[in-house]
Amino acid sequence: MILEYLEGEMTPRDVEEFERHLEKCAPCRAYLATYRRTKEMAADVGRIEMPEEMKERLREFLLRRLPRQAPAS
Amino acid sequence: MSGVDPTVDADTERRLVQRLQAGDASALDGLMERYSSRLYRLAFGITRSSRDAEEVLQDVFLTVFRKIGSFAQRAKLGTWLYRVTTNAALNKRRGLAATVEVALDDLLPTFLADGHRAGDRSFLLADWSETPEGELLAGEARAALDRALAALPDGYRAVLVLRDVDGLSNEDAADVLGESVPSVKSRLHRARMALREIITRSLAPKQATAMVRGEISRPA
Repeated sequence: MILEYLEGEMTPRDVEEFERHLEKCAPCRAYLATYRRTKEMAADVGRIEMPEEMKERLREFLLRRLPRQAPAS
Repeated sequence: MSGVDPTVDADTERRLVQRLQAGDASALDGLMERYSSRLYRLAFGITRSSRDAEEVLQDVFLTVFRKIGSFAQRAKLGTWLYRVTTNAALNKRRGLAATVEVALDDLLPTFLADGHRAGDRSFLLADWSETPEGELLAGEARAALDRALAALPDGYRAVLVLRDVDGLSNEDAADVLGESVPSVKSRLHRARMALREIITRSLAPKQATAMVRGEISRPA
């Protein structure tokens, strides 16, 4: 139900009912808030950069290999 | 594939594909500039290893050059690259999974018949969402998140990376993974729930103590 709520897939009536429930249910409020925060944390820690030296290593590796790998024109 | 990069200019990409199809190795720079960072993030997200991610990218770009001839222009280059990268990363993990993964059900909360979670009330009320970001992304919470990410089954982690890190839509993620949209949504939700549960198990005792001490207010 949380996923449908967060993705805007609930009917307006179900949203209203869900939000009315949230107002009086602290465990559900806590669950929704921490679920949202988890999603943000996973995104934050996942946004890593490829190290520049690795990009250069990859480029050199491919240039060494590509003449034999490139398709015929 | 709007989820991959809405700014991608279709004409530039079409020319890039044509050069690759003509066997022009100098098109490599354009391809790398456009995609290497994003593909690395995806490969690292699935393998959790920079060395493995680097090897995955080597395989991916070699595969692209080898198979670009059969690439149809009507398909999206981004979708194809994401698919090749996801498959290569999952293959890299094959065999390792059994040693690291925990059954997902062990990581998920238990729910009562009325839809509420089962468990101790102080645990159910634990709301760490307002914890400052610096604190959450370091120390105990960060360690718990890293443990949780490593423990997720690979297929679930792949969905999480595609949707929450790369921002793909459910439809694009399903296309990349060759799965249905309902399957992607179900995996995404279960993956997020498992991460949330592990972080909460790590932080809830602190929250309960702070509540008893009155350092944070007890919710109604």
